[in-house]
Amino acid sequence: MAMKAHLIIKREYMENIRKKSFLISTIVAPILMLLIYSIPVLALFFVPGDQVRIAVLDRTGVIAPEFLATLTDTLKDGQPKYLVRDARPVDGDFDRLREELIADIAADELDVALEVPADVLEDGKVDYISKNVLNEDITRSLKSRLTPVVIKQRFAREGIDSDRIAALTRGVRFNEQKITKSGILEEKEVAGDLIIAVVFVMILYFMLISWGVAVQRSVIEEKSSRVIEVMLSSVEPRDLFIGKIFGLGALGFTQIGIWSVIMLAIGFSSSMMTAQIASFIQISPTEILYLGVYFVLGFLLYAAIFTIIGAVCSTEQDAQQLQIFAMLPLILPLMLMFFVIEYPDSTVATVLSLIPFFTPMLMLARISVAEPPMWQILLSIALLAVSIWGVIIFSAKVFRVGILMYGKRPGLKEIWRWSRYA
Amino acid sequence: MPERGPIERKVVAASPLVQIRDVTKAFNGTRAVDGISLSIKKGSIYGLLGPNGAGKTTLIRMIMRIIYPDTGDIQIFGLPLTEASKDRIGYLPEERGVYRKMKVLDLLTFFGEIKSMKRTDARSVASEWLERLNLADVAQKKAEELSKGMQQKVQFIATVMHSPELIILDEPFTGLDPKNADVLKDIMLEFHRKGHTIIFSTHMMDQVEKLCQRICLIDKGKEVLEGTLRSIKKKYGHNAVTIRFEGDGAFLRELPEVESVNDRGNELFLRLRDGSDPQKILAKAARKVAIHKFEISEPSIHDIFIEQVSG
Repeated sequence: MAMKAHLIIKREYMENIRKKSFLISTIVAPILMLLIYSIPVLALFFVPGDQVRIAVLDRTGVIAPEFLATLTDTLKDGQPKYLVRDARPVDGDFDRLREELIADIAADELDVALEVPADVLEDGKVDYISKNVLNEDITRSLKSRLTPVVIKQRFAREGIDSDRIAALTRGVRFNEQKITKSGILEEKEVAGDLIIAVVFVMILYFMLISWGVAVQRSVIEEKSSRVIEVMLSSVEPRDLFIGKIFGLGALGFTQIGIWSVIMLAIGFSSSMMTAQIASFIQISPTEILYLGVYFVLGFLLYAAIFTIIGAVCSTEQDAQQLQIFAMLPLILPLMLMFFVIEYPDSTVATVLSLIPFFTPMLMLARISVAEPPMWQILLSIALLAVSIWGVIIFSAKVFRVGILMYGKRPGLKEIWRWSRYA
Repeated sequence: MPERGPIERKVVAASPLVQIRDVTKAFNGTRAVDGISLSIKKGSIYGLLGPNGAGKTTLIRMIMRIIYPDTGDIQIFGLPLTEASKDRIGYLPEERGVYRKMKVLDLLTFFGEIKSMKRTDARSVASEWLERLNLADVAQKKAEELSKGMQQKVQFIATVMHSPELIILDEPFTGLDPKNADVLKDIMLEFHRKGHTIIFSTHMMDQVEKLCQRICLIDKGKEVLEGTLRSIKKKYGHNAVTIRFEGDGAFLRELPEVESVNDRGNELFLRLRDGSDPQKILAKAARKVAIHKFEISEPSIHDIFIEQVSG
């Protein structure tokens, strides 16, 4: 007797791929997300920013010219960022000029006034006068330009060649080189690994949740449309269970496929971006393989759990309250991810990545940034497979009983009892 | 279950199509089905009767192994229901449902396929049935766009399109208008003539009288009476006589065989006591009045139903 699961897989796949919701979650949602994320990035690139009008009141008379000469920054549109003014009192009355500058700031004719005291070389403080003294970007950059000028003056006063000093006190530079089995990776590629790890884990997280919920929804729909009895008079519950999980799993795989094609297409169409990204993001086929493996295994595990939720609930609202049990083991690894990425070979990360519920996301993260020993990867897959086996057997039994139950949601004790039925 | 020897196998081959032995099922302590045993012969139309909540649906679900009996056993085609024998059964559940988003023809094709029909066969057979039930113009519509009655007809097609040896219908007439109920009845009789076995549950007695050879009346999970329509009427029904005559019929009311009299104007309807012989009434009446009409009326299943269930 041939299994009829393939018919159900086919139906689930064909019916769902035609749905608008599939089109939306596959094409529209990612585009929207991309747009939302790209707004700040685009803003950074295309919004020129504001010009800063700055006046320097230099009581030493030797600092201002050289300092102002360093403020050559330009905005995105090529305009100078700083509009500078060397404020020298004609009559030598610095105090009155200071008052005038303050009045200018109050009248919005000036943004910043810097008063360099006469004893600046003896550690006197420079007054930074502005309506906004918390603009880190400006204070930091002005401070970093002013300091070398002052230091240079101090050296000059002691008769020391400041250029010589700068040359001799130059710091040591590091060139990070990561040793992997395939050779030496350059600094840039280390950053690329990080990005890959985060992106992969996020994709997995998103996929496991959305397709797990899809399975749950499909089970509830089967119940609420009361079609389940007709189905059970023709096929075994096993076939229905397998059909739902694999039909929707195949749809999830299709989604990954569509995204891959789109990403490749975008990559090829903008060759400049490709070159830039390709220089440090290098996704190896092995990593893609692991993404696939952990998606499939993770999906089976979580789909079985979501199936239990769907089988014991009669409505979507009911199910939403129970969803947390399936969500929690997915959210936790997301929170642990950054620790694991930072210390991929630590004992804690190793143990966490071997916990079957966390394995898909955390082992994938470790594989992306480090090279965990093969025995750990195989062990994680073995543990995951055993868990899937156990959870699927349990959930198939709960499914068998639960799909015919309507109305009040059963308690945990009752669900456990269901799993003991033949 | 011990393995069957060769001798027992012969018995199985000769055994009825559906054999239910002392089946019990309780929900939360209440016995929905309580020790029911039935055997249903091949080629018969078998009616399961009973008031709402009597346990008909529970019994049918157990026959389909959608739920399992607590005790007792059920065999179909001489075996407990197997995966393979599901293809030989058509089942219309009381809780009717379809995949609402699917187009009617696709839906029926799918239902045919899961009964192991070939895709192309399923599609052409489904089209023929849609044509026959005046649904051809909705073949490309989504199931959810159909009226309730139409949906029910689609479900009926799904039940019989693979021409199953055993057809099980749970309250098939509920929700159908008289015209469509007649269409359904004709199709059932057609399958019957071709030798298919039909089990159906209902609380509509006139359908039972028209269709069934054998019935089982269930109340509160228990079997109240079971047998052929004729034997049940004979055993449980009171005899009644309709008589039209000329002359003074007052004496009829005094006869010991008569339990009650209903004057219907031109005729008198006499309800007789248990075991009374209508022929004696005819003989006595013939001596006193001129008889124009004398008819022995059969008790209706409806009357028996009401009496047995309330009694």
